Formats: sequence, C-alpha cells, structure tokens
Amino acid sequence: MIENIKEVKKDELLAEVKKFADAKARFVTAVCNDLGDKLEVTYFFNMSPGMEMHGLRMTVGKDEEVPSTTGIFLTTVLIENEMKEMFGLKVKDIAIDFGGHMLLAQDSPVTPMLKTGAAGGKGGE
Amino acid sequence: MGIINTSRIKSPWIMHFDNSSCNGCDIEVLACLTPLYDVERFGIVNMGNPKHADVLVVTGPVNRRTARVLKNLYAQIPDPKMVIAVGTCACSGGVFHNCYNILGGVDKVIPVDVYVPGCAVKPEAIIDGVVLALQKLSKALGVAK
Amino acid sequence: MAPRTVAPFGPQHPVLPEPIQLKITYEDEKVVDVVPAIGYGHRGIEKACELNEYPKNIYLCERICGICSCIHGISYCEVVERLWPIDVPPRAKYLRTIWSEMSRTHSHLLWLGLLADAFGFESMFMQFWRIREKVLDLLEMTTGQRVTQSISVVGGVRRDIDDEQKKKCIEVLREVRKESEALINVLANDYTVKARTVGKGVLTKEQAIALGCTGPHLRASGVKEDCRMQGLQAYGDLGFEPIVEKDGDCYARTLVRCRELLQAIDLQLEAFSKMPEGEIAVRPKGNPPANEAVYRAEQPRGEVFYYAKGNGTRNLERLRVRTPTYANIPSLLVMLPGCELPDVPVIVLSIDPCISCTER
Ligand code: SF4
Repeated sequence: MIENIKEVKKDELLAEVKKFADAKARFVTAVCNDLGDKLEVTYFFNMSPGMEMHGLRMTVGKDEEVPSTTGIFLTTVLIENEMKEMFGLKVKDIAIDFGGHMLLAQDSPVTPMLKTGAAGGKGGE
Repeated sequence: MGIINTSRIKSPWIMHFDNSSCNGCDIEVLACLTPLYDVERFGIVNMGNPKHADVLVVTGPVNRRTARVLKNLYAQIPDPKMVIAVGTCACSGGVFHNCYNILGGVDKVIPVDVYVPGCAVKPEAIIDGVVLALQKLSKALGVAK
Repeated sequence: MAPRTVAPFGPQHPVLPEPIQLKITYEDEKVVDVVPAIGYGHRGIEKACELNEYPKNIYLCERICGICSCIHGISYCEVVERLWPIDVPPRAKYLRTIWSEMSRTHSHLLWLGLLADAFGFESMFMQFWRIREKVLDLLEMTTGQRVTQSISVVGGVRRDIDDEQKKKCIEVLREVRKESEALINVLANDYTVKARTVGKGVLTKEQAIALGCTGPHLRASGVKEDCRMQGLQAYGDLGFEPIVEKDGDCYARTLVRCRELLQAIDLQLEAFSKMPEGEIAVRPKGNPPANEAVYRAEQPRGEVFYYAKGNGTRNLERLRVRTPTYANIPSLLVMLPGCELPDVPVIVLSIDPCISCTER
C-alpha cells in the first residue's frame, strides 16, 4: 500500500496540482499503469523540505485527452512525453513536445509499455 | 609505408564509443587510462576524433538510435581499422537481450574483430583485447610485432 | 545582432563518456538556447522487468547504471520486499548501508576527477582516479566484482564481511580519507578552480524546488533534503545529517560532493563499529503479492524512486524507476541560457549527468 494517495477526476487535476505548487512542493515523478481498458496515472509530490510524499491518482480511458501539467511544473516535460510515447496517453499542450520520439527512435515499436505491446526479444523479432 | 605501419602497431590510437551501455564498461575503459592500469605506457592513446583513430572500442548494445551514429563513426575511421566489442552486452546483447529497443550486439551493425566478454569487463581484459587486436592487425599488414 | 550559430554537443563528445546530445544556439560566445535530445541510451528495461521473473530483475536493475549499480540493486530489493512486506535482518541492513556508502565514495571520487578533467586539470583527474581504485579494490574484495556487485537479494544480502576483511576495509578507508582530504584542499582553494566554478550556473532555492532537482544539486541550493533522512537501513542509528551549501553555483555543488565524500567514509567507519552479529538473509515466501509499493533511496546523484506493483505471480505487473538525472535535466534549461560557451561542459557536468540512468 502507498500512503497519502488521493483519487482525483481528470478535470480537477490541474487545480489539485496547483495546490501543491502553492505549497512549494517538489514534483517527484508520475507513474502510468495499464489497467487493461484504462490507464492509471499517479503523480507524486514531495513536501519540501522534508521527506513526506503525497500522490494524486487519476484513471482515464485510453482515448481520453488529459491536460498537461507543464504549465505549473516545467519539470514534468520529460515524464509527460514519456507517458505519451510509452502508453499512448494523450496529453494536450506539453510545453516541449518531442512528438513521440524522445526516447523511441523512428523504427522502434509504438507504445511498447502497453500490455499488448511488443514482447521484446532482440528488438521485437 | 614501413614506418607508418610499424608505428601503427607500436602506438595505436583508440577511440571509445558508448552505445547504450550501462556505464559499467565505460568507466572501466576510462579506468584503463588512469594511473593503476595506465595503457599510455604501451603507447595506446585515447582520441576524441574518429579521423585520428586506428582502433574503435565499442561498449554497450546497439539500440535503434545509436545504430546510425555507430555506422557513421565506423565509416569515418581510416583504413586499416580494428573494432573491439567490450563487454558482454556489446558482444551479444547480454542482459538486455529481451529489451524492445535493442538490436543486439555490435556485430549486428559493423564488423567486429575482437570480442571481450565480461559484465563488467576488468581493465586487464580490455588491455588483453587491445593486444589481441594489434596482433591481428600486424598479421594483416605483414609487419612483425 | 550577432549571427546565431547552432552547435550540436554530443552524442559522441570527449567530455561526455555517454551519449546525450544538446543542441546549443549561441551568439558570439553567449549561449541563448539549448534543447536536449535524449534517447541514445534507451533500452526498455522497464518492459524487460515485466518479462523476467522477479529475482532476476536485480541484475537488470543494477545495469540501469553501472556507476550507482549497487544502490539500484538494493533499492529494487527494498521495494519488492515492501510488497509482502519482508523484514530484513539487522546485519543485512548494516551491510547494505556499508556497500551503499562505499559505492557513493567511488562515485564521488569519479565525479571529482571528471570535473577536474572538464576544465583541463588533468593531473588532478589522475589523482582522484588513483584513489578511487583503492575503493574499487575493497568492493572487489568484499563482493567479488568491481563495478556491478549484485550483492543484494530479495530478503537480505548475498555475502557477509568477515573480521579480516573488516580490518582491511577500515585501514584502507582511513588511508583514502587522508588522501582525499589533501586533494580536496587543493580543489576547494585553488584560484583557477574558483575562477571556473564560482558564480557559474546559479540556481536559487525556489528554482531548485520548482524544477524538482534532487540530490547534491538540490542541497547545494540550500534545501535540506536527503532520502537518508528517512532513517531506513542503518542510517537511523548512524546519526546522519545532510550536507547543505547556500550559493547554488557549480562551486557549491563541488563542495557538497567533497564533504559528502568524507562523510560517506565516516559513515562506513561508524557502521563497521556498530554492526550487529546475526543472519544476513531471510527467504521470501511465495510470490510477490498483488500490492503496490514505493521506495526512495539516496544515490550519489540524488534521489531514486522505485515503484513496484505485484500481481501474485513470479513476474511483476509493473516496475517504474525514476532516476536522479531524470529530475535534474530540466534544470539545465534554466542554467545554460546566458552562460559562456566554454562553461557549458562544467555546468553540464555539475549536475553529474548519468544518461544511461535517465533513459533506461
Ligand atoms: S557488459 Fe554489463 S557492465 Fe558492461 S555495459 Fe554491458 S551491462 Fe554494463
């Protein structure tokens, strides 16, 4: 079990993240999970200074668009791009959009982290 | 050509390229240059520029993005050249064999002359590998070592 | 307006041992914009961790990064242990602490050497790496490998340190401490070193938190935050205090790492003196249950974040690793614009970048 996780709706996300920004929290990371027909995204924040961690969790459909948090925390740029590439999470308006090729090359498998994605083995052979 | 070939064997210039390795082998290649192992006493000099190099030392497995860079670097090294694959994952893919972004060992992309296994390789093994590559080179050039 | 030039920095560059590319736009000597292009080191380890059985992932996780490999392996074990949860015997906790600090010692020595190299202080580079070899010898003696130790297993550690090894460790560590102190004195007080680092790449406390920086990078900006403060493993018993500097420039980052290096040696010596006797491992029962866990540990480069989700089988449902450099790279976007071109290598190096970590 992970402590201090709060479930939020997609529309409330930005308001909730803003609260963390106002409290001078430090963004830790986000974790995306494939639940089959839905994606579960959890954002983690550290209450600086100190070592207390809080999370925001939202569950969205695979074709739903989600807002970008880069307007509040610039540092989420990398993780949002990554989730977009790896899980096909549709994040709108990322501050620096790598267009799905931040980590993956042109000929890499698409959305490899989905459960149905490439099983691996010598580059998907 | 005699003197050039002789000095090629006596003082090879190496260039190190890191594909997508875990760094373990890179720091061991670097450790070869530092006082305890000090390959410079054998005349081996580390170069940053492929056009000056004789020997290409490659660490790490080839992934889909570095494949292009590696081919490019290989093409820039003047003949005769030697390629040494350092580390298990440069030889065959190693622990990363079932990662989706990995093509496999270095030999999937460019020809390899010497394989040095080990994860991570020991500096002694790297030095051995370079010596082996030089023997091969001197045979190819017809120069007595 | 002076003409603008775009220069690629990397992916193969003499200063960087690793492939990363920065596209730098500059006017005369002034940097106006940078765009990092990463992906040269992406392998897909997180997916491979789902395909392998959980005990085998230790070796894969260690190879996320070869420099902080020991702590990666330990953190993976700790997060999987939290799924049950399993309680690790106290001696194993101490041993994990000792090996963590030992790898921090070697990593900081490595970094200090690379920093000296970045501004052309070649002999200093050689000296730091000479000392580092002694630490690697200790690691080899106690674990069997120089770089990728694979010392931790789920439930404890794989090997014990006996009395003879302990004596040798203490002796060598004292020696290392003395020699590094002498070198640090030179590094911290040298006029040229100061000229190259003081006031370069300044990051204020507010910026550092907003950008989510971690580790020595964050502490150099005056934020007292260190995962070892959680008191896990043996850190609770050892009276650990994080090291903080105020200025937030490259010089402050150097000082933090210098002092952490000495502190790491002291922590090891203290841990050796307090280490309890007893078991070194317990056997996990069954498979990891369907549960989630997070674990954060302090690596030489900053905080590493592990998230694991089990599903009751021998494979994990999901493993996510957020490495320190992943959090520190965005700060480059703030520090680099406005600096002089020759300072770029020093500033890039001052976050202690580890690219293979970042991309996994
Ligand atoms: S052989 Fe092993 S230590 Fe060397 S780069 Fe590959 S994974 Fe890392």
